[in-house]
Amino acid sequence: MKLVVVSAGLSSPSSTRLLADRLAAATVAHVDAEPEVIELRDLATEIARHFVTGFPPARLAAALDAVAAADGLIAVTPVFAGSYSGLFKSFFDLIDKDALTGKPVLIGATGGTARHSLVTEHALRPLFTYLRALVLPTAVYAASEDWGDDGLAGRITRAGVELARFMAPATEDRAPDVDTAAAIAPRSLTGAITSVDPLDGFRVVPFEQRLAALRAE
Amino acid sequence: MQFGIFTVGDVTIDPTTGRAPSEHERIKAMLAIAQKAEEVGLDVFATGEHHNPPFVPSSPTTMLGYIAARTENLILSTSTTLITTNDPVKIAEDFAMLQHVADGRVDVMMGRGNTGPVYPWFGKDIRDGIDLAIENYALLRRLWDEDVVTWKGKFRTPLQSFTSTPRPLDGVAPFVWHGSIRSPEIAEQAAYYGDGFFHNNIFWPASHTQQMVNLYRQRYAHYGHGTPEQAVVGLGGQVFMRRNSQDAVREFRPYFDNAPVYGHGPSLEEFTRETPLTVGSPQQVIERTLSFRDYVGDYQRQLFLMDHAGLPLKTVLEQLDLLGEEVVPVLRKEFASLRKAGVPDAPTHPARVAAAAEEARKGKEKEEVQS
Repeated sequence: MKLVVVSAGLSSPSSTRLLADRLAAATVAHVDAEPEVIELRDLATEIARHFVTGFPPARLAAALDAVAAADGLIAVTPVFAGSYSGLFKSFFDLIDKDALTGKPVLIGATGGTARHSLVTEHALRPLFTYLRALVLPTAVYAASEDWGDDGLAGRITRAGVELARFMAPATEDRAPDVDTAAAIAPRSLTGAITSVDPLDGFRVVPFEQRLAALRAE
Repeated sequence: MQFGIFTVGDVTIDPTTGRAPSEHERIKAMLAIAQKAEEVGLDVFATGEHHNPPFVPSSPTTMLGYIAARTENLILSTSTTLITTNDPVKIAEDFAMLQHVADGRVDVMMGRGNTGPVYPWFGKDIRDGIDLAIENYALLRRLWDEDVVTWKGKFRTPLQSFTSTPRPLDGVAPFVWHGSIRSPEIAEQAAYYGDGFFHNNIFWPASHTQQMVNLYRQRYAHYGHGTPEQAVVGLGGQVFMRRNSQDAVREFRPYFDNAPVYGHGPSLEEFTRETPLTVGSPQQVIERTLSFRDYVGDYQRQLFLMDHAGLPLKTVLEQLDLLGEEVVPVLRKEFASLRKAGVPDAPTHPARVAAAAEEARKGKEKEEVQS
């Protein structure tokens, strides 16, 4: 299984990356997956270039594809000005709007004070809900004082178990709803769906169908 | 294979002088550039269509009609004609008229337009963009191909026994290219009708262009118009040249760094690596352009964007001298020698009239044999 970890920490090492790694370890303890970590710091200028040119440079394209193809996602951001960081939001602004549909996502955040602990609920959760991800009930916030506290370890374990459970393949063969089927199909470099049509990832609606749909009754 | 230029028609400040041309100066410059294209031996001039500042070409057939009178050989085209917000009846009339005025030296490229606010100014909605392109073009096709049309659709008032005048020259409508950058639906439309597909690749990496052109080629064959290699493909490109490549880079850099479409993002070096933009010597432009064939196959039309980023007219005319004298003659020869057997020539009016006559003759023979 593919587990992708997106960390928006800016320093190296960062407490955000530390939390991301602990969440990943807690997850892979319960599911057979090799985590792939995407450090947004390394992609910061490429993210900005995508905004101004309209297409992703190669490394960023690979990162976006990795997120789209993941079976599970861990997304962790530092708290800046009471919310997720701008870099974190910018990365998810560039994600194909259907790429996260139905994907289990574990959200986490770090901050200097416990006063921001609800940032996972008022900022991160709505963002991933908009992207139609399956946002797990346990979100993990770590303030400076939490790092020496037992409570954090417990929450990390609970979150990892939840993500592992939702990443595991469904036991029964359920057909996903139509809206979700295309969205969870594998994607090509440009984010196009690859499994629906063999023609280089484009889903083709036969032209007669489009014409017929417009015909006056 | 045809070589030409296409213009966006933007009024852009020259960053080296801080001055923007007036609309009048820009329009006159575009006309001078078109005439220069013929003088240096290019095949095609295509103008954009826009209905918002800082762009001037809102009335392409007016402009192309003037150029028709001032040239002998140049094919007049568009890049693009808005099939979404224009009335398809008016497109049918305007371009048939231009065909007669220009003795058939006309084709047209359909495009949707990507500026949301423009649509409501013409009573349309950008969210209907694809549907508008499909319905309007289906009607346009009939207006050109059938003498009397009775029609009812979703977006336009119905037509009863309507004849679009003048009829297309020699009974053969202008060849149509469908331009699209990102929409597979438009590649599908071009393939369905057996029309040309133009991928304006100038801001896009090769992998994306290849994917779109490949889709069009496969679907062209699917609809029975020929093999994928026989599909009619056009590409864009943008260049800045000086004999010495360092001079080209030095002179173009301030334009690149400040242009609305290029500037304040990636460096000139990054952008030239990732997109078709080529800044260097004529030889570098030749090599880069030939490399397009490696990922889209043999194609029929190459248009260059030359009057971009606020370059002054004098510079653009110098660029056209280099393009016409040093680049295109080599490209013609090289592309021709590389071209695989069975790949069709670029469409021209005389060739299409001859093909239509041949088709009619065959149909008649078949009838006689049967009776």
